[in-house]
Amino acid sequence: MFSVKPPKPTFRCYLPPQQTGIKKPPLTTPKKLEAKLLPGEIVVNEVNFVRKCIASDTSQQDLWGKLVCTNFKISFITDDVMHHVKFQYKSFLLGEHDIPLTCIEQIVTVNDAKRKQKVLISNQKLKFNPTELIIYCKDFRIVRFRFDEAGPESAKKVCLAIAHYSQPADLQLLFGFEYVARVYYNSGNKVNCVDPGGGGLEKKSLCEQTPLFDKPSDWDREIKRTGASEWRVCSINEGYKISPNLSEYFVVPVSLADQDLRQFSQFFTGFRIPLWCWNHSNGSALVRMASIKDVMQQRKLDQRVCAAITRSHPNRSDVYKSDLDKSLPSIQDIQTAFTKLRQASVIDPFEESEERWLSSIENSRWLEYVRCCLKHAAELVYMLEGKRVSVILQEEEDRDLSCLISSLIQVMLDPHFRSIAGFQSLLQKEWVMAGYRFLDRCNHLKKSDKEESPLFLLFLDCVWQLLVQYPAAFEFTETFLTVLGDSLWLSIFSTFLFNCPQQQDEHCREFVKSRSISCGDEKPLRFPPVWDWSQQFSEKDQALFNNPLYVGKSASCVQNGAVKSFKRTKKNYSCTLRGTSSLKNGLLSEPEFMPRRNSLVLRLKADFSHVRDAPDSPSEQFFCEWFSKPADLQGLLLPQLLPSHIKLWKLYFLRWVPEVQINMGGPVTAFHKMSVLADEIEMLQQRLRQYKGVGSLSAGTPEAHQSRMFFRASNLSDSSPMPEYLTSSFPFSPVGNLCKRSILGTPLSKFLGGTKIWISTETLASEAMA
Amino acid sequence: MASASVSALNSNSLENSSSKNVSRESLRMEPLTNIPYLPGEEKVTDKEIIYMCPFNGAVKGKVTITNYRLYFKSFEVDPSIILDVPLGVLSRIEKMGGASSRGENSYGLEITCKDMRSLRFALKQEGHSRRDIFDSLFKFAFPQSHNMPFFAFLSQEKFLENGWNVYSPINEYKRQGLPNEKWRITFVNEKYELCDTYPTILVVPFKASDEDLRRVAVFRSRGRIPILSWIHPENQAVIMRCSQPLVGMSGKRNKDDEKYLDVIREANGQTAKLIIYDARPNVNAVANKATGGGYEGEDAYQNAELIFLDIHNIHVMRESLKKLKDIVYPNVEESHWLSSLESTHWLEHIKLVLSGAIQVADKVSSGNSVVVHCSDGWDRTAQLTSLSMLMLDSYFRTIYGFEVLVQKEWISFGHKFSSRIGHGDKNHTDADRSPIFLQFIDCVWQMTKQFPTAFEFNEHFLITIVDHLYSCRFGTFLFNCESVRDSQEVKLKTPSLWSLINSNIEKYTNPFYTKDSSRVLYPVASMRHLDLWVNYYIRWNPRIRQQPQNLVEQRYMELLALRDQYLKKLEELQLSDSPRISNNSANSPVSPNQIVHQIQTQF
Repeated sequence: MFSVKPPKPTFRCYLPPQQTGIKKPPLTTPKKLEAKLLPGEIVVNEVNFVRKCIASDTSQQDLWGKLVCTNFKISFITDDVMHHVKFQYKSFLLGEHDIPLTCIEQIVTVNDAKRKQKVLISNQKLKFNPTELIIYCKDFRIVRFRFDEAGPESAKKVCLAIAHYSQPADLQLLFGFEYVARVYYNSGNKVNCVDPGGGGLEKKSLCEQTPLFDKPSDWDREIKRTGASEWRVCSINEGYKISPNLSEYFVVPVSLADQDLRQFSQFFTGFRIPLWCWNHSNGSALVRMASIKDVMQQRKLDQRVCAAITRSHPNRSDVYKSDLDKSLPSIQDIQTAFTKLRQASVIDPFEESEERWLSSIENSRWLEYVRCCLKHAAELVYMLEGKRVSVILQEEEDRDLSCLISSLIQVMLDPHFRSIAGFQSLLQKEWVMAGYRFLDRCNHLKKSDKEESPLFLLFLDCVWQLLVQYPAAFEFTETFLTVLGDSLWLSIFSTFLFNCPQQQDEHCREFVKSRSISCGDEKPLRFPPVWDWSQQFSEKDQALFNNPLYVGKSASCVQNGAVKSFKRTKKNYSCTLRGTSSLKNGLLSEPEFMPRRNSLVLRLKADFSHVRDAPDSPSEQFFCEWFSKPADLQGLLLPQLLPSHIKLWKLYFLRWVPEVQINMGGPVTAFHKMSVLADEIEMLQQRLRQYKGVGSLSAGTPEAHQSRMFFRASNLSDSSPMPEYLTSSFPFSPVGNLCKRSILGTPLSKFLGGTKIWISTETLASEAMA
Repeated sequence: MASASVSALNSNSLENSSSKNVSRESLRMEPLTNIPYLPGEEKVTDKEIIYMCPFNGAVKGKVTITNYRLYFKSFEVDPSIILDVPLGVLSRIEKMGGASSRGENSYGLEITCKDMRSLRFALKQEGHSRRDIFDSLFKFAFPQSHNMPFFAFLSQEKFLENGWNVYSPINEYKRQGLPNEKWRITFVNEKYELCDTYPTILVVPFKASDEDLRRVAVFRSRGRIPILSWIHPENQAVIMRCSQPLVGMSGKRNKDDEKYLDVIREANGQTAKLIIYDARPNVNAVANKATGGGYEGEDAYQNAELIFLDIHNIHVMRESLKKLKDIVYPNVEESHWLSSLESTHWLEHIKLVLSGAIQVADKVSSGNSVVVHCSDGWDRTAQLTSLSMLMLDSYFRTIYGFEVLVQKEWISFGHKFSSRIGHGDKNHTDADRSPIFLQFIDCVWQMTKQFPTAFEFNEHFLITIVDHLYSCRFGTFLFNCESVRDSQEVKLKTPSLWSLINSNIEKYTNPFYTKDSSRVLYPVASMRHLDLWVNYYIRWNPRIRQQPQNLVEQRYMELLALRDQYLKKLEELQLSDSPRISNNSANSPVSPNQIVHQIQTQF
């Protein structure tokens, strides 16, 4: 939809498409185009004279260059300048046209003349020479290459290579292993990288502030921070002797001895002993637990666990158990919702889907699930905060929904987890160390589609809803959440690569052994966590993570290990809300009274008999009371749960759609203003500090002003003009990232609808790749 | 807004700038209730009553009716539940149940409001207990049906600013660079003889004589000839507005009208073809021929191009809003929210209006003059011209500029506010009623969402305008056209809404506003971006707290204050520093140490 003339920020849908001929390739052979490679990265196959499609309606802006497949990414190298790109977030690991192999959702090859198309899978034959290659990415991009002028055989080879390498047979074939081995264990190759363990920076980086919870001391600190005096660190799983998918260290009630735990563990699914997550300052604890396999033992064991948790509560209060499998959608439901949402967001033709946009979003059920998770978490927040009872999250394996719900609860209750370092530590604690199966759920090896589910993204979306509702309560921005979501598809970080810590340890050991890498000091291979953001972004670009409105932790907030909680005084305000009384089943419940009215007359009669003053559930009362008062951003936060207040996360889901881009508009324009002001304040702060230091050390202090803000104030009390490059997609650019086309009358949606709906026109005979 | 001790859930957001000026008389009458009487407001009656709150159930309290408002305060609930509803907001008042009705609270009143609410009250079933309250409400809510004046004419409110001075047509045209050698100001309508729904001052092509105008008026519905709304300061392309041509079934032509449109085209050198935007769907335009109307035929207007914008009529919009109300009040449709919202088509209509305006703005900014009309040229036409002017001219995005825009394109050019809103009229089923102006404000809100720094006014400003569209506290939106307003002496006898706003302008100012004079704003009129204006349509629901936008604004204001505080401090320090008297700093109220500490706690 990008026209040849400079993009006028007008409503594109109503402007006729530009009719232009196909741009000819440059006559001269291009200069040597070389892929930029990371340590350990090798070129597998490449093809020249490839055209990358930029606009859907014209080839005028297409780029000519070389398409390269490496063991890490698809790279398109060109000398052509891409026009109309307003701004593009630059990563150290990837060029602007690069796609990591782990980010590939589906590879489609097309031959126009033969009217053929095929979804490529590893080890498959391709019986035609492709004229076009379309890459569907996990981050919703759709990238299209044309081979009209390229050598037919080489084009085919590159396509097959991409298919092959994006589906590695073994975890250790993921690029990260090669990369980490080279970067950290081969001398002389330390470009752009920071030691995984220690930092060269003077001030403590975000990464160093983030406990990974792989050491007993991290847990100890968390116990102290939350004042969980009746809980202790347990190390019986050291060396994964008890459970393969638990972390080596976790926290349990003081009253349970190691011996008991060892005995209990055999009855739990996956030998997973119940895990402590968090303590409220009122003493109630949040615990997660797998199901008990042995029916005979169920009651007894349940009682023992509950009794121990009760004993760890200062008031010896009851334990509330929430069965997540029964209250929330399944991981398959969530995957289906996600697929439908992708369909509506980027695959369906834009203009045609306008009229049914809202209902197609509803039909995907994604927002319903977002709301459902927020609501369930809020209900449990009420238990912990309002009823002051401990809560157990129970799930069959305790490795999926409990990660999501337990983190959401903690984000709502504990302001610490709304800071960047705190949020990162939360993910480390409730996802990585608790054994969320990132490898399977992301389907990095493309082994089983059944296991794939975007639970982590669903969590990020829930946090985004809270961020939008309480814009000053979080230290991070939606850019941070988006970039974090995108980092799932980089096979370089420990965070999102493994199913559990044990798997990481095992594979790292094996890899080292097989490559006979000498690590020295018997140090195993260690992947950097994604929290080492300097691996991906410059200091300046990382500043886009910082929320200028953040009401930071005031000294009184997290103090003496106690998290300031939000206390309510008046209890006599009752409030009845319809349609929300049956909360156990999430939002699926129908309004119980107050039927939809068709006519006024009917309503008058119906309503009078139905208005009643019986109070709703106590949690509803609790919510209403909370909402009737101003929120303390350093205290409890509850989400507004009306369906009208759950929004689509446009930056994440629609950033690549050119038609949706608002030029010089969108929330980022206000963000710019806020950043500039925050920067001004910081600048003033520094000047005042210099005054404070007059006569002492100030003379030698450098003037350089280290800003938290991406957008800087040019001058004190002088308004900085808004940069021209701001768009609603900022810091991303849709140019060339969403290039769909209907081929041969087959709607592209067929290709991605369900993974296996479209049946290949070719035989599925396999052919080993060289 | 209600004070902190009081539940704001059901209180009206109409602020009372002069609540402190409560007349002594009314204070004496009601020492216990704290009704924020306006000067000129008088109590009519009061009664103990049960408010059937859809959120809290039956609430006992006392209702007071004045000549301006309905005020209810609960007895026992803490915080109290308060209803503060201007009577102008009431659309329909009905008795419910009879003396013999069975069931608890089945006897009472049902009130339908124009601002998305419905209120129900129950009374004791003895002695015609509701008669008095019903009669008073009926009389004072519908003064026009009882030969009584609007409250605006009784109001004694005084403001620092006089909002009636905001709009002077001559000054506004002067601002646009008019008259010039191509365009002239005509007083041909001085006595409302050319067109009784147009204002007295009009801008027309220099080449068209007043006699020409009179001949064109014959061929345009209700004499609403094409007149200039806006001229592009650089390319001189113009936006003209008018009503449909009276083509009729026989396909009548009028040489004067054809010539007149060509004169308009020629006035701007770059316009090869004058673009005529007919706001209606094609079929509606054809159907209008049956009643003598129609559209500009291709043969008759050779140098013009006609484009239909597919915007539906007032009846469709009214029904759409009705459906919207059904899914947001009292409860938000839970299980199928988005598809229910879609089936109201409200956002789809918004999209069509916005994209029509975008097309107008796009044409004009590329140097092509346009004519906009619908049937009568006072509903859809007003939406399109004012929205495209808002996109093209940053002046209209300021608070004063927006007031001028409303005053000019809506009030002076004869949007029939009285008929569309039904001010003081008991006939709630009147087919003339339609939320056209609300729809316009909604479109503006959509634009402010997409461009949070481009408008000087905030959401509160827009909500205040819509609230007083109904309240009848100000003369601003009363009556259908200038000729009637003149005869009623509205400017002399009533206060203006702009007086209220301009006397307290900070409250309505968007802190993110960045002046950017040259920019044309093109919003994206896609369903992907259009949102329901929840802060307006769903504001009565108690599960909604202060809105994020307001929270962001609030936080930004805090930071602004903080910056100013530091700037001041820094200045003080620099001053005290220059003579280098070290002891001086001890005298300042805050020591630098403290300041630095404060900043750290902020971040």
